[in-house]
Amino acid sequence: MAKNRISPDEYTRPLRRILVGMLVLALVAIFLIWRIDSPRVERFRTALVDTMVPSFEWALVPVTKTVDMFESFQSYASLYDQNQELRRELQQMKAWKEAALQLEQKNARLMDLNQVRLDPKLTHVTGVVLADSGSPFRQSVLLNVGARDGVRDGWATMDGIGLVGRISGVGDRTARVILLTDSNSRIPVTAQPSGQRGLLSGDNTARPPLEFVEKPDLVRPGDQVVTSGDGGVFPAGLLVGTVVQGNDRRLRVALSADYERLEFLRVLRSHAMEPITDAGSLVAVPADTPPSVQTEAPVAAPVTAGQ
Amino acid sequence: MMLTSMRNSTWIYRAAFVAIALALLFFKMLPLGSIAGDWPGPDLMLCLMLAWVTQRPDHLPTGLIALVVLTEDMILMRPPGLWSALVVLATEFLRARSALTRELGFAAEWLLISGVMIAMLLAYRLVFVVAFMTQPGFGFAFAQTVGSILMYPVIVWLLRVVFHLRKPSTGEVDAMGRRL
Repeated sequence: MAKNRISPDEYTRPLRRILVGMLVLALVAIFLIWRIDSPRVERFRTALVDTMVPSFEWALVPVTKTVDMFESFQSYASLYDQNQELRRELQQMKAWKEAALQLEQKNARLMDLNQVRLDPKLTHVTGVVLADSGSPFRQSVLLNVGARDGVRDGWATMDGIGLVGRISGVGDRTARVILLTDSNSRIPVTAQPSGQRGLLSGDNTARPPLEFVEKPDLVRPGDQVVTSGDGGVFPAGLLVGTVVQGNDRRLRVALSADYERLEFLRVLRSHAMEPITDAGSLVAVPADTPPSVQTEAPVAAPVTAGQ
Repeated sequence: MMLTSMRNSTWIYRAAFVAIALALLFFKMLPLGSIAGDWPGPDLMLCLMLAWVTQRPDHLPTGLIALVVLTEDMILMRPPGLWSALVVLATEFLRARSALTRELGFAAEWLLISGVMIAMLLAYRLVFVVAFMTQPGFGFAFAQTVGSILMYPVIVWLLRVVFHLRKPSTGEVDAMGRRL
């Protein structure tokens, strides 16, 4: 026994090395396929998340609630101060409520005068946040509404107040919302009142920078930022936040939505975009139908009709 | 009798590993309002795998590691396959050196693990650069690696206390009579 020192490992080691090499190659191949044909792999990922995460839901919800409860226990310590502050705020709010009611009536009157009809398509689906992205480098949440609720890619998502993000990846029962803070998020916005347009591009910080503003001098800290509707991705005029100046002297946006408590989110149904099938037909006359050029003057009758 | 119990215990350890991995994934995904720009915590999953492979390489077959990390890649919205490939390479590297770390003691093991973790981070970021993908700032990502390095002894200690997982002593044999 002691003489026979050749262990079975001696034979299996080269084979093992080949198998591990093949495994690594296969994993790298998955990465390359993802890099080349991302939509297909992402669809697979969405389907996988769609089957796995809702099956955790029974545990996700109670554990989240319990942790939330402990966090609120901690805040009981400062209950008295909080109460006083809330009373003060309530006084202010009453004044605001009065103003809001008056404005609402005024708005209704003006709309009546102008015969404005609100777009019936601008409705929303409300979803509950199921899960976080789980990674400190990605900012997204998973909602419990999906394709079966009619949710589509690209729709805007808001909490009660401001824009939260954009739907990206819809499974049957779940949909992923890429938050405005994610480094892949790019949203066309307008700063009010200057009307300067720019791009809100997330960079994995709590206050995403405002980029590609034509005249940054016109944008002041405190300005309100709303979506501009450029590019047809989002409805225009959704509140995003206010402009602040970051420590690095860049224009950044303090988001209005409460990112610490994302619980219920509204998914706004957007219009079905007019699909542009080929580039030419919008500006030029299609090639197969000869352009009709007006060669004769039209019958002159209507021009002088008034006289 | 002895043999079967040992073989069973290996499978129990494997099941425990998968359960811990799922639990970690689950707790990461809890919607507790993580704010963008917070300092990233340590990558506990990485610590766990490297610690386990260094202590008992026979418990974690390469295929299982690949499967677990690939699932994690998919769920956590990472580029699928890349981190898994790196983890497989790192664990293979440590697996081949488990006898070495057994002889050198814990300080050297910690140093080796730190080196492996930093190398993994650099390789990961290098691939991101080559593939023209956006990635978080270096300091931000490095903070996570530092966190993982600091967390490593704690994980090893926990494995030792909770699972009685320690390096096999010299001369210990496995179920098949091979030396560990």
